[in-house]
Amino acid sequence: MNPAFATAPDSLPRPPLLSVNGLRKHFPLKGGLFGRTTGVVRAVDGVSFDVAEGETLGIVGESGCGKSTTARLLVDLITPDDGQILLESRRLGVDLDVRELRRHVQMVFQDSYASLNPRLTMEDAIAFGPRVNGMPAAKATALAHELLAKVGLEPRRFAGRYPHELSGGQRQRVNIARALAFSPKIVILDEAVSALDKSVEAQVLNLLADLKKELGLTYIFISHDLNVVRYISDRVMVMYLGEVAEIGPVETLYAKPTHPYTRALLAAMPSMDPDRRTEEAPLSGDPPNPINPPSGCRFHPRCKAAESVCSTGSPGLFVLPSERHLVACHAAIPGSGHSLAEMPA
Amino acid sequence: MLSYILKRLALTIPVAFGVSIVCFMLVHIAPGDPLTSVLPPDASAQLQAEMRALYGFDRPLPVQYGLWVMKTLQGDLGVSIATGRPVASELGKALGNTLMLAVLATMIGFLFGSLFGFVAGYFRDSWIDRLASFVSIIGVSVPHYWLGMVLVIIFSVQLNWLPATGAGPGGSADWAWDWVHVRHLILPAVTMSVIPMGIIARTVRALVAEILSQEFVSGLRAKGLLDFGVFRHVVKNAAPTALAVMGLQLGYLLGGSILIETVFSWPGTGFLLGQAIFQRDLPLLQGTILVLAMFFVALNLIVDIVQSMLDPRVQRA
Amino acid sequence: MSAAAPALTAIAAIEKSPGYWAGVIRRFRRDPVAMAALIIVLALVLMAIFAPLIAPADPYRSSMIRRLRPIGTPGFPLGTDELGRDMLSRLIHGGRLSLLMGVTPVFIAFFIGSAIGITAGFVGGKVNTVLMRTIDVFFAFPSVLLAIALSGALGAGIFNGLLSLTIVFVPPIARIAESVTTAVRKIEYIEAARASGASAFRIVRIHVLGNVIGPIFVYATGLISVSLILASGLSFLGLGVKPPEPEWGLMLNTLRNAIYVQPWVAALPGLMIFITSISFNLLSDGLRSAMDIKA
Repeated sequence: MNPAFATAPDSLPRPPLLSVNGLRKHFPLKGGLFGRTTGVVRAVDGVSFDVAEGETLGIVGESGCGKSTTARLLVDLITPDDGQILLESRRLGVDLDVRELRRHVQMVFQDSYASLNPRLTMEDAIAFGPRVNGMPAAKATALAHELLAKVGLEPRRFAGRYPHELSGGQRQRVNIARALAFSPKIVILDEAVSALDKSVEAQVLNLLADLKKELGLTYIFISHDLNVVRYISDRVMVMYLGEVAEIGPVETLYAKPTHPYTRALLAAMPSMDPDRRTEEAPLSGDPPNPINPPSGCRFHPRCKAAESVCSTGSPGLFVLPSERHLVACHAAIPGSGHSLAEMPA
Repeated sequence: MLSYILKRLALTIPVAFGVSIVCFMLVHIAPGDPLTSVLPPDASAQLQAEMRALYGFDRPLPVQYGLWVMKTLQGDLGVSIATGRPVASELGKALGNTLMLAVLATMIGFLFGSLFGFVAGYFRDSWIDRLASFVSIIGVSVPHYWLGMVLVIIFSVQLNWLPATGAGPGGSADWAWDWVHVRHLILPAVTMSVIPMGIIARTVRALVAEILSQEFVSGLRAKGLLDFGVFRHVVKNAAPTALAVMGLQLGYLLGGSILIETVFSWPGTGFLLGQAIFQRDLPLLQGTILVLAMFFVALNLIVDIVQSMLDPRVQRA
Repeated sequence: MSAAAPALTAIAAIEKSPGYWAGVIRRFRRDPVAMAALIIVLALVLMAIFAPLIAPADPYRSSMIRRLRPIGTPGFPLGTDELGRDMLSRLIHGGRLSLLMGVTPVFIAFFIGSAIGITAGFVGGKVNTVLMRTIDVFFAFPSVLLAIALSGALGAGIFNGLLSLTIVFVPPIARIAESVTTAVRKIEYIEAARASGASAFRIVRIHVLGNVIGPIFVYATGLISVSLILASGLSFLGLGVKPPEPEWGLMLNTLRNAIYVQPWVAALPGLMIFITSISFNLLSDGLRSAMDIKA
C-alpha cells in the first residue's frame, strides 16, 4: 500500500462524505414489432455504499458488472430508477440539486481521446467548466494554465494544443485538470488509467496520489486491474452483475477474501509472489447475462460452493465480525442454511 | 426473417400514409380555389356544384382527405381536365412505357456501372481506377436532359441513325418489339442509363476494394488462385448490395424520368406529368405523382426484404 | 483570449497550434483538382455578379432578322438564339438566375435541415422519432418527383421554384445532421460537458456544432450540383424561371426546337450547367478529403 493513500483513519465517527442507498438502474431492451420493451438489463440493482472524506474507494469487477453505470449514476449522467444519493447528508433531488452535486463530484473517463472535444484547445477544454459556472473568460483561462502546471504539463507548451497532438498520458492529465477545475470534493476515476502504458500508468497514479494529498481529495477508483486497485485504494468494493458482492478494507479483502467471487478474482490475478498463488480455481465461463440474471445469489451458477439455498434466496450484505467488512454470500451468513455457514447463536 | 418482414411492413404503413397526405395536399397548395384546380375553366355552374359535392370541397380537410382516400383505393384517381378522361386510364399505358424505359436503362446502367466499378476496384489507384472515377463524376454531374439533347444532335440530327422523338413511327403510341419501335427506345434508354451508372460504379468499386482487402482473399490471390475463384467470391459478396442499389435506382428513374421523357417525347408517365404541368391539369398531376410515389415506396420495401433474404446481416429498419 | 489572461501567460507567450481549419486549408491547397474547381466556381460567381459589366450586349434585345446565327458570327461570338438575342450575353446573364436557383435552396435547407437534424440527434427519444419519421415521408419521394410535384402544384415562378427545391433538400440534410449528431452525442466529451453542469444549448453550441457542422456542410455542398441540375430542369419544364429571363435551363428549353438549325448553339446552355455542376461536385469532393470526412 502506498502510504500517500493511507490517509483515512479507520475509526472516524463522522458521517460519510458520500452515501449511496439502494441505487437501481434497469435499461429497457427495445425490440419486436413496434419497439416494445422485451426485457430489461439490470445494470445496477440495489447498490449501497458509503465513501468517507479523504479515502479512496476502489470498485472492481468484470466488464458488465455495473461499475461504470454506478459511476454515471453518481453524477446523474444517468438518472437512477430508484435509490438515494447523499452528499454530506444532503439528498440529491431534495436539498441538493444536480448542478451542485456535479460541482462537488467530478469524473475522469477511460478514453482520454474521446473525453476531449477535438475542436477545443486544452486551455479552452479546461476553462469550459468554470465558465459554465460563471467565471469570467480571462480568469478561467488563467485557472486553466494554473491547473495544467499542477498536473505536470507546462502551460506555455500545452495550453494552445489540440487533443490529437498529445499522448494518451498527457491527455489524461488534461482530463484530470479539467475535473479539478471545479475544486471538487470527490473525483470518480472510471478506468482512468486502464488504457495507458504501464510506465505512463504509474506516473499518472503518482500524480493522483500527490494531488490527493495536496488538495485533500476523495477518490472513487474504478478498475478491472486488481493490482492497481490494491495500490491506490483504502477500501475495495467488488461488484457482480449489478450487485455488491463484497466490500471492505483493502488489506482485509486482499488477505482474507470471503466471497467466492472475490477469491476467484484474486486467484486469477497475476502475482509476482509464488507464495500468494492460491489453489482457488480460476473463474470459468463468461459472466451470465445481466438481461436474465440467475435467481438467488447471482454468482451461484459459477460458484463451487453453491448449494440449494444459493439458487433460492438472495443473500444480501452481511456485516462480518471484523466490521467495515461486508459480504453477500450465504456461506458467510450464520443461519443462512448453507452447510459452510455457522449455526445461529 | 418473418418478423423482420412484418416489422419492415409496419414501418412502411406510416410512410405510405404520409405520402398520401402530401399528394392529397398538392391540390390544396395550388393557388386559388381547389375547385378551379380540378375543373376546366369553362365548367358550367351545375358541374361545379356536382364536383364540389363529389370532392367535398365544402367540408373540412380531414373529411376531404377521407373521401379522397376512399376513391383512390377504389382506383378512381379523378378526371383529367385537359382530356376529360379518367386519370387512371391515362396512366395505364404511360406507366407501361415508363417501366419499359426505366428497366432497360437500369439494366444498361447496372451492366456498365458494375463493369467500371469492378475494374476500378480491382485495379485500385491505377490509371484505370482514376479514369473510372472521373467517368462516374461526369455521370452524376451531367444534366441528363442536356445529355439527351446532345445525343439527339449527334445520332439523329448529324448522323441520322436513330429517331429523335416518340415511341414509334408517326408518333404512334402502340408499342411492338420490332426494330422500327426498338430504334426509338435506344437513345432515351442510353441517356437515362447514365444516371444510375455513376452511382452503381461507385458502389461496386467500394465493395470490390473492400472485399479484396480482406485477408483471406489476399491469401487466395497469393496462392495463385487468382482470377476465377476470387472473381466468384467477389461477385457473391458484392451482389446483394449492388442489387439493392440497382433496385433503388430503378425507383429513382421511374420518378425522375420526366425530364428525359420530355426531351424525347416518350409517351410515359413523365411525359404525362409534363403535359399536366403545361396545361395545369392538377388531377392528372396528383394521380401520376401518387402512383409513382407509391411505386417507389413499394420498391423500397421489396428491395429491403429481398436484400435481407440474400444477406441476413443487412436488416435495415 | 489568452492575451487577456494575466499571471502565468505574462511570463512567456503561449504556443498556439494551428487549428483544424488551418489544416483543412493547407490540405485543400495541395489538391490541384479541388483548387481548379474552386477557381472555376469563383469565376462563375464573379461572372454572375458582374454580368452587366462583362456581357457585350443586352441579353433581352431581340431581332427577327438575325435569329439562330452560328457560333463565330462576327459580333455574336456564340451565335444568336431563336429570337436573335446574343447568346454570349444571355449565357453570362443566365448564370445569375441559374446559380441563385441552384445554390439558394441548398443554403436555406442547410440551416433548416441542420436545425432539425441536430435537435433530433441531440434530444433523441420521442422528439427524434417524430421529426425523423416526418422526414422519412419526404424521403419516400424520388427528389426529382418531389420537386416537380411541389412546383407543378404551386405553379411557375422563381419563388415557387426556390420553395419547392428547399423542401426537397431539407430531408436529406436533416438525415445526415441527425446521424452525425447522434454519433457525436455518444462520445465521452459530451458526457464530460454534461457533468460540468452546462446547459443543453451551451453543449450544442460549444461541443456539438463544431464537430457536426463540417460533415453536414460537406454533404450540403455535394447537393449543390444536384440542385443546379434540378433547378434548371424545372425551368426546362416550364416551371421555375419564366421567359424572357435568361436562365440556362429555360434557354435550353426554348432552343430545343432549334437543334435542327443550330444544334451546337442550342446545346450551349446545357454545357454551362454541366461545367457548373461538375465544378461544384469536384469542389465538394476536395473539401471532403481536406476535412478528412469518410464517405
